[in-house]
Formats: sequence, C-alpha cells, structure tokens
Amino acid sequence: MHKLNLTRRDFLKTTGASLFLAGVPIPGYTKDKPPGTISVILLEGGMDGLTAVPPFGDPDLLKMRKIISPKNYLKLNSFFGLHPSFRVLAGLFANNQASVVHATSIPYVKRSHFEGQNMMEGGGLSPFSENSGWLGRALDLANTPGRALSLDMPLVLRGHNENDNFYPASIRNSSKLNTKLIEAISMAHAKESADVYSKISNKSKVDVSNIPRDPASLAKYAGKVMSQDEGPLASVIRIPEFDTHARQGADTGKHADLLGIIDDVIAGYREGLGSAWDRSIILTMTEFGRTVAVNGTTGTEHGYGTAGILAGGTIQKSRIITQWPGLSKNDQFERRDLMATIDYWSVCAACIEKALGLDHELIAKKVFLRPNLPRVFDYIFS
Amino acid sequence: MNEQFRVSQKLGLMFKPGDNIPKDIRSWALSQLHEKSPAIGIKSVSRVGNSVVTSEVTNWPKHLQPDLRERAKRWRIYRAFNKLARKENKSNAEKQRNRQENQFGEIDALKFSHRNVYGNDQLRVRFLTFWTNHFTMGNIHDNQNVIGHAMDEAILANLNNNFSEMLFKVTSHPAMLIYLDNIWSAGENSKHARWCNIKPDCQAGLNDNLGRELLELHTVSPAANYTEDDIRNSAKVLAGWGTHLEETLKKMREQGKTTNHWDYFKKDFAEPGKKMVMGKKISPGKRGLRQLTDFLANHEHTIKHISTKLCQHFVSDSPEQSDINQIAKAWRDSDGNLDKIHTKVIELAIKSKEPKFQWPMTWIYQVVRLSGASYFHGWDQVYNWYDNGIMRNKEVFEELGQSFWATRQPNGYSSKKEEWLSGEMFERRIRFASAIYMGGETQVSTDKIMDRISANNATRKLVDSVGMNEESRFIALMCSAELMGLENA
Repeated sequence: MHKLNLTRRDFLKTTGASLFLAGVPIPGYTKDKPPGTISVILLEGGMDGLTAVPPFGDPDLLKMRKIISPKNYLKLNSFFGLHPSFRVLAGLFANNQASVVHATSIPYVKRSHFEGQNMMEGGGLSPFSENSGWLGRALDLANTPGRALSLDMPLVLRGHNENDNFYPASIRNSSKLNTKLIEAISMAHAKESADVYSKISNKSKVDVSNIPRDPASLAKYAGKVMSQDEGPLASVIRIPEFDTHARQGADTGKHADLLGIIDDVIAGYREGLGSAWDRSIILTMTEFGRTVAVNGTTGTEHGYGTAGILAGGTIQKSRIITQWPGLSKNDQFERRDLMATIDYWSVCAACIEKALGLDHELIAKKVFLRPNLPRVFDYIFS
Repeated sequence: MNEQFRVSQKLGLMFKPGDNIPKDIRSWALSQLHEKSPAIGIKSVSRVGNSVVTSEVTNWPKHLQPDLRERAKRWRIYRAFNKLARKENKSNAEKQRNRQENQFGEIDALKFSHRNVYGNDQLRVRFLTFWTNHFTMGNIHDNQNVIGHAMDEAILANLNNNFSEMLFKVTSHPAMLIYLDNIWSAGENSKHARWCNIKPDCQAGLNDNLGRELLELHTVSPAANYTEDDIRNSAKVLAGWGTHLEETLKKMREQGKTTNHWDYFKKDFAEPGKKMVMGKKISPGKRGLRQLTDFLANHEHTIKHISTKLCQHFVSDSPEQSDINQIAKAWRDSDGNLDKIHTKVIELAIKSKEPKFQWPMTWIYQVVRLSGASYFHGWDQVYNWYDNGIMRNKEVFEELGQSFWATRQPNGYSSKKEEWLSGEMFERRIRFASAIYMGGETQVSTDKIMDRISANNATRKLVDSVGMNEESRFIALMCSAELMGLENA
C-alpha cells in the first residue's frame, strides 16, 4: 500500500507553524512588572500523549498499541518513558527543567477538533462561549497589553486591548509602509478596523523581514524578544497536523516527526531566551488525546486524556505529575480513551500564576471562569 | 457605491474595465447562476519597455485540464521517478521537471485565479469558492493532483443541481477520500480486515475521520446531537470507498469492477450488514453511501447549518435569523435545489444593506478586476518565480494567508469578520495593493474607478487626503472601509 516517505526536512517545510507574541509591558502603565514569561505551544489536531510519554509500566500499553509505541524511549522513571524524538527535552528533564502532566485534558469530551480547539483557546465553559482567549484575559488582568506574531489573531490571545501581531512578509514589488498613508486609512475606518490599521503604523518601525518561518526559528526569535527588558511576556506557537488517523508511526514516522518539532521549538526558545530562560515557563496543550486502541489504519482516532509537556527555568524539579487511571477497558473513558484525572486548566492557571504573578483565585474566576478550579501550583513549581 | 458595484462586491468579483454594467442588477445577478463557466485565462504576460503586454483571453488548453485517469497516471510517473531518484543521483533540474510535468496543484490554483480574474461568471465563481471552502480538501497526503478536479467536476459542475448530488459527488471524490484518510479504512468485519488481522504485522480496520467530518462539518453539525455510534456507523458506510492514485488498474477492476477513481468501492474493505446512522437504516454495499448522503442532505440540521453559513458568507456580517430562515425555507420547499437556494441568497444579499467583509482572496481578485491590472502570470509561466514585477501565483496566496491548496484543517476558512481583523492581515492588503499597482499596470486611474463605482464621500475624502501620488491614492482606495466590505455606500 501507498506509503508517505516524507523526509524530516520536507515535512518541516510543509508544516506551517505560526508564532504569536503578546503582553508587552508599557513603562509607567504596568505597576509591577510580572516576574516571568509564559509560552504556549498549541498542538492542533489532538496530540497522542500515550506515544509522547508512553506509560510502559502499564501492562495494557503494549497489548493495545504495540505498533505505534516507540521502542527506544528514554526511561523517565519505572513507569513512564519519553519518546526518542524529544532529545532536547530529555536533557532538560535530566537537569530538572522539564516536567510532564499525564492523564490530563481540558474538560471537553465530545471529540470535535473545532469545538475542542475553540475551548482550548477560549478557555470558556463551553465551545464558542467566549470571544476572548484565556491568555488574553490573563494578560489583561496583569495589565500587560501586547502584540502577536502571525497572520491571524488567534482566539487564545484575544481579549486585551492593545493586541497586535507580526509576521515576516515577503511581498515583492510593494513599497515600504508609509506611516502617513496608513494613518490616513486608519482615520477613515470605523473604530474596530481603524484600531487595526493604527497598529500597523507603529510596527512599520520594526524590521521583521529576516526571520525564517520554520518553527524553531520562530521560537528562537520569540525567546530573543521576550528576553528583552521591554519585550513581550507571552508567546504562542501553533503547530498543526497532530490528527494522525492513519500511519501514525512509532519511533519514527508522522507523529514522531511532529514530536520532533515540539522538541525543536523548545530548543529554539531555550536558545533565544538566553538568561531569561530562568524566569520562563513553556507549556504544550492540545484539544484532546487519541484513542487507546490503534484503529484500522495504524493510526488513532479522536480521544480524551493526553499529556502536557512543561519546560523552563522556573521548574525546580522534574516530575511526572499524574494520577494514573490505568489503560484497561474498564479504566478507559467511555471504554475507548485515556481518562483525564487532572484538569489541564489548573495546569495553565499555575503557569499564569508563576509567570504573571497573579493570585490563583483571581485566575480561576476571571480567566477560566471556574471559581473552584483546583490549585496545582506546588506540584509543578515547588 | 452604486447598486451595481455594491451587488458585484457582495456576491461577485466586481466589473472589469470594459464590462457592460447591467442596468437591472437583480436580473443580471440571477441570470449569473446560469452563465457558462469555461476556464478562460491568458497564456502569458510580458513587459515590453514600460508597458505590460498580456496575451488574449481564451480557453485554457485541454492538456492542462486532464481528467482523473490522466491525473492518476501522472501521479504514478511522479512517484516512480522519486523512488528512482532515491537510488540514483538525479539532478535538480530533472527533479524539477518531474514535479512540473506531473503535478497539478499549482496549475489548478492558477486556473482558479484566472477564473476569478477573467471569468464572465463572477457569481458562479463566488459560489464555487463558498462550496470549495465548505467541503475543504486541503493538501494533506499530497492530494494536490486532484483538488482542482473536485472543484471543477464535483462542485462547479453541480452548482445548478441538487445539494444531495453535490454532497455525494464531493464525498466520493478521491480528493476528499484521500484528504480525510478514507482510502485506508476497512470495516472491522470486512474480508480484508479478517484476512489481515490474523497475520502478525498486518493491521486493518475502521478510520472514522471522514465519517465524523461528514456529519460535523459537511452536513448536520454537532447541533444534531449525534453519538459516537452514529460517527462509527457513518464510517462503516464509507469503508471501502476510494483508493490512492497509485493503485493498479488491474486491482481496481478486480475489487471494484471499474478503473474510475471517482466510483471506486473496494468490496473486500466494505463492512457487511446494515448500518444505523441517526435513526436511518442504511443498506450494505456500495449503494449505502448514496442513501446516507441523501438522508443527510435534506436533514433539518443540515438545512439550518448550511443556511446559516450561506447567510454569513454572502448576506451580512451579522446575519438576521429571519434571513437564515428564508434560505432554509427555500431549501425545504425545493428539497435542496441549489438554484432555488442560491436565488434566495442573492435576493437577500441585495435586499440587505448590511456590509459584508470580503476575504483576502476575494478582495485581491476584486482589486485586480476593478483596476484591470495584469497581476497573475499566464499558464505558460505557472512555474516562473518573481518575474516581470509579478509574484508566482502560489506565493501570492501563501503571503495572503489563504489558499485552497494549502495544508489546512477541514473546517475551512471562517466567514466571520473578526477572524480576519488583524494588523498583519491588513498590512498584507496595503502591500498587495501597492504590488498590484507597481507590477500589474492598472488600466484605470483611481479617480476613474471611484467615478465608476460611485465611491462614497468618506472614501473620496480619504483618497484626496493622501495627496496626489497615484500609488498612494490607489492603496487608499483599495484599503478603504468601502472596498474592504466593512461599510456600505
């Protein structure tokens, strides 16, 4: 049967990752500069946590998913392993600068990408309930307006006033941006679009034309600007195509390549952040995990529980944070998916608390609209 | 903006310089539904001295619009060369020739641009665009050789047909079956799965990707509250449909008694027995899919879901429920006759004075048509990089952030204005207006365009405020709220 023999390089070329930066403190506006930075890697399509961080100590793992489980994993402890694509992450783990939260998910169980992605960015109580995003609301609470780097404005960052975005353009034979012209256009527009135009005139002063667009370079760039004194406090990188319904692969293959991109992005951040790494937290998130069982086309279907990866200098001790539910049929969610025992919003809340210095109660109520969200801060940052 | 241009902005692609502007715009718009849609375009654009010379507008050559069998054949040649290239050292020139001779993604994408820029069927092209986006078939698993074919033959060819026909033709088209993984799916009790699953290194069974999106995106939407069982049963109905383009014709004859990729059902992959999807009993075998798509096509939730999308795309940025209801009623009354549905959409879009924000893709074609610029290469130049002041078609849409040949998610591009309000997106419009002005040699002055469309006072004031530089005036006009569809005349 037809096999896709994409080389890693070709694959990276075709994967359109995008970067968003946000939360630039304005001198005199922000009273106390928040203590850290937060970077979110959005994994669109549903990342398979059981492949990324295989629980090889669970006897059901290989019974159910032998052909898609990596053989050359790195042992993290007596129960969990790390996929061999995570070379940089493995090093961070060894240095107590990375952790994994396992059997976790945002509280969404209906397995639609588009509802799930909307929830993961919106952070509301149900899909499409919010017009702003959780990170945007958090930055707003911290009084740190900002800008984003990408073509579109992702929902996750919407909701604070001074939102703007950047993405290196390459439109030939077009004139340099003319500030006066843009201001004139802006003035002729109604408020909503006028705001957007007026931001372009500000950014015409920054040269971003030489940034390569591959995920690692975008992360490196993000890290670099975040490390600056007046730099943004938050960034988001979006990596699409985790929806591996067919030919998922194991040690190598499609899903392994995608995990490699996460690793590259973390490496990019590490390099770009430099000494600012010590006050940074990076976390992955995805709309749902994938089925425990392999489907008929050596892939997996949409599921529920998955794993979240955390990295950064704010982590003091590498851990695997989990209440492992087991993989047997009776332990599965709806007898098909990994059960989620940790609400991933509480993980996001802890990262916001660490990076932006906000109170957990405030975050729970105002950002995630869930006053009873558990606080898991100490499990991650102690 | 005068009524003629207001309607052609909302529903079409604007009138080109030299087009006859119809007096009765409503009758014209409705007659557009039955306009002929030949693929027309130009062979080449060149620059002689300071002027741009464009070859005459004529039909696209047949050899650049191959049928499915030819597309599959070329794909096999392309793959065979690549396999060889891994063993032998092939030159870059040879690899490039292989890509250019045997792949059709870029050719089809340029043809689509030509349809938009040169076509006399502007409303039909907009409906083609709407439905292509509704039935997203992104370039995943490298199915670029067949996306354009599905657009022309499954969508455009069925614009005057019933929605159920379009739904079936798209669902069973190789571009969709490959994109959403269905070509590998096998019923768990199929002959193939039973044979395969007793062998050690063989895996066969269901893949629910297309079964799920058929319900969620293409028809009833999650509002219908279907269950995981409905999704799996829908996938079981689909199991067996389609194949990758490298399948041998011998195997196709054996398995499906056909060599037609668009009608290919592998009996050994089919799930035996009847299936139940949302309360509807579906027969076993090849005829099951048509029963399922016919059932879904006229389901009340499909009618509501797609009527809302049509209204959001064509009528208003904040559609009225009563407008949505009228489209739904036209759908019900006609049992899904697309002519009747589209007629209602056109009537409501004309009636509503609400603005409708235009996608970057639609806007760039409208700018090119209004100004008479030559901003797209001819079919002889499809693989030319930046040349004569013009970017490669593929590059234009990568920079614009919107292309039907990109790798993307099956929910397509949003018609909601908010999704596109970003500095970067707006900057692209300024830069492209500039590039079109600099590279495309506009045929009409900014003042003339404003007179022609009867630009409103705010737009005229804006253009006058930027001074006498013709490029600045052109950019200001094209990026005005009026020309972006952010406010009406």
